[in-house]
Amino acid sequence: MTLPSPEILLQLSINGALGGAMYGVAAVGLSLIFGTMRLIFLAQGAMIILAAYLVRALFQHLGIDPFLSLIIMVPVGLAAGWLIYQGLFRKAAAEEDRNISLLIAVGVMFLVQNLMTVIWGGNTAAVVTSYTASGIELLGVRASFTRSMGFLIALAGTALVVLFLRRTLVGKAVRAASEDMTAATLMGISPHKVNAIAFAIGIALAGAAGVAVATTFPFNPFAGFIFSLKALVALALGGIGNVAGALAGGIILGLIEAYVQFFISGGWTNAIAYGVFLAVLMFKPEGLFSRPYKKA
Amino acid sequence: MANRLLEVTDLEVAYGDVRALWGVSIHVDAGSVVAIVGANGAGKTTLLKAISGLVPAKRGEIKLSGTSLLGRAPEDIARMGIAHVPEGRGLFRQMTVLENLELGAFQPKARANMKHALEKAYDLFPRLKERTGQKAGSLSGGEQQMLAIARATMSEPSLLILDEPSIGLSPLVVQQMFQLIEALHKQGVTILLVEQNIHQALKIADYAFVLKTGELAMQGTGAELIADPEVQKAYMGVLEL
Repeated sequence: MTLPSPEILLQLSINGALGGAMYGVAAVGLSLIFGTMRLIFLAQGAMIILAAYLVRALFQHLGIDPFLSLIIMVPVGLAAGWLIYQGLFRKAAAEEDRNISLLIAVGVMFLVQNLMTVIWGGNTAAVVTSYTASGIELLGVRASFTRSMGFLIALAGTALVVLFLRRTLVGKAVRAASEDMTAATLMGISPHKVNAIAFAIGIALAGAAGVAVATTFPFNPFAGFIFSLKALVALALGGIGNVAGALAGGIILGLIEAYVQFFISGGWTNAIAYGVFLAVLMFKPEGLFSRPYKKA
Repeated sequence: MANRLLEVTDLEVAYGDVRALWGVSIHVDAGSVVAIVGANGAGKTTLLKAISGLVPAKRGEIKLSGTSLLGRAPEDIARMGIAHVPEGRGLFRQMTVLENLELGAFQPKARANMKHALEKAYDLFPRLKERTGQKAGSLSGGEQQMLAIARATMSEPSLLILDEPSIGLSPLVVQQMFQLIEALHKQGVTILLVEQNIHQALKIADYAFVLKTGELAMQGTGAELIADPEVQKAYMGVLEL
């Protein structure tokens, strides 16, 4: 096998990274919710697809530009996340019953999938704008405009979440609760409040990711589950509890997929992605980026 | 009668079918240091957890300045002015010293006063100031315990609960720990202390309760209990070899 030209490698890397950022932003949401609730919110992918359908609806019916709809999707996501926690998960969280929480998440996933099918049909949908096919030329390599925008959204969303967690007292309370909920309650931090905040941000990120997905990929109501699985892989790669790592994990997963698709074959993409997932869980369960601090 | 800050009456606590406390009554006067001593498994930690709402009471009453704490969530009890340093310290190990201290002042009431409280804490614990940007998990055991106590003082609580502050520390650091507790006492902080280091605890305590297998065995001033032949035989003889 001859090595492909550097341009092709670069092109592959760009496509992979830009696509992987979608997994990453989904993984950031999972990471936040898992942090405080120890719950794998399997419906995150379905929420992203739901957001993508909403973005399409806003575009088709009201003529709102998909990227402009961010200013609607993010606040709606915040409110929806808060309501989803208070309405569906609060009771199970109070009982600290994680099995019930997980079942509720699965229930939400199926419900959302089927609602989308009823409303929009099961066929593949896409958002086509005047700039969908346009690209950015850089160093002889072409990057899709919408994918680049999606990448920026993922980057900005993650950066905002990291800033919130590091700079604000409420964000610090979320981190504290992720580390030790009992100790957090002794500080006067309400578990329900931090859980609701984690959910609100998680679903707001799903809203932002929906914009990115709607503009870059064709999607259908059932694409969400695979999305959740990929986000889970990204989460494991980045290290559970490491928000920026989750985004990086998604990008790495995107790169792996792009390379496998090119060098091996498209059919192997998922098998290898999940193989990497298992390998990481077996050999580096704390994630690729963890640096344990030295113990005194 | 002195000003009763905390009053626990006939408290019963059970973990499933296993009863941990059988009708225990204790009280803490404002401004005092009260020690709860006893052997392993006597129910000391359970008593503290019941006060701060981490385990539910089966029967009895717990009142802080006359207000019942029963049935309240731990975060509400914390907001009412009880700061509990749990066994194992409960530090946020991945977070910095400063962040841990800030979270100690998370309650809205304390937040406004955070700057002042932080200065005060750093005055009392200069070592922590040197380590302000370091992760809590990277501190030595003694420093971690100091941080846990300093964090608890950040909310300027009316009652500071310390569960075995001397556990796992070297004798020299244990001395420093007790000096610190006395310093806090002098500042007017009311302290409820659980210790296995019985001699030390009784020395600094204004009043003490001895727990034995979930029941109150004895009570008295620290000096009285130190002088008590039964206490000496049952607890200190073993520990003071």
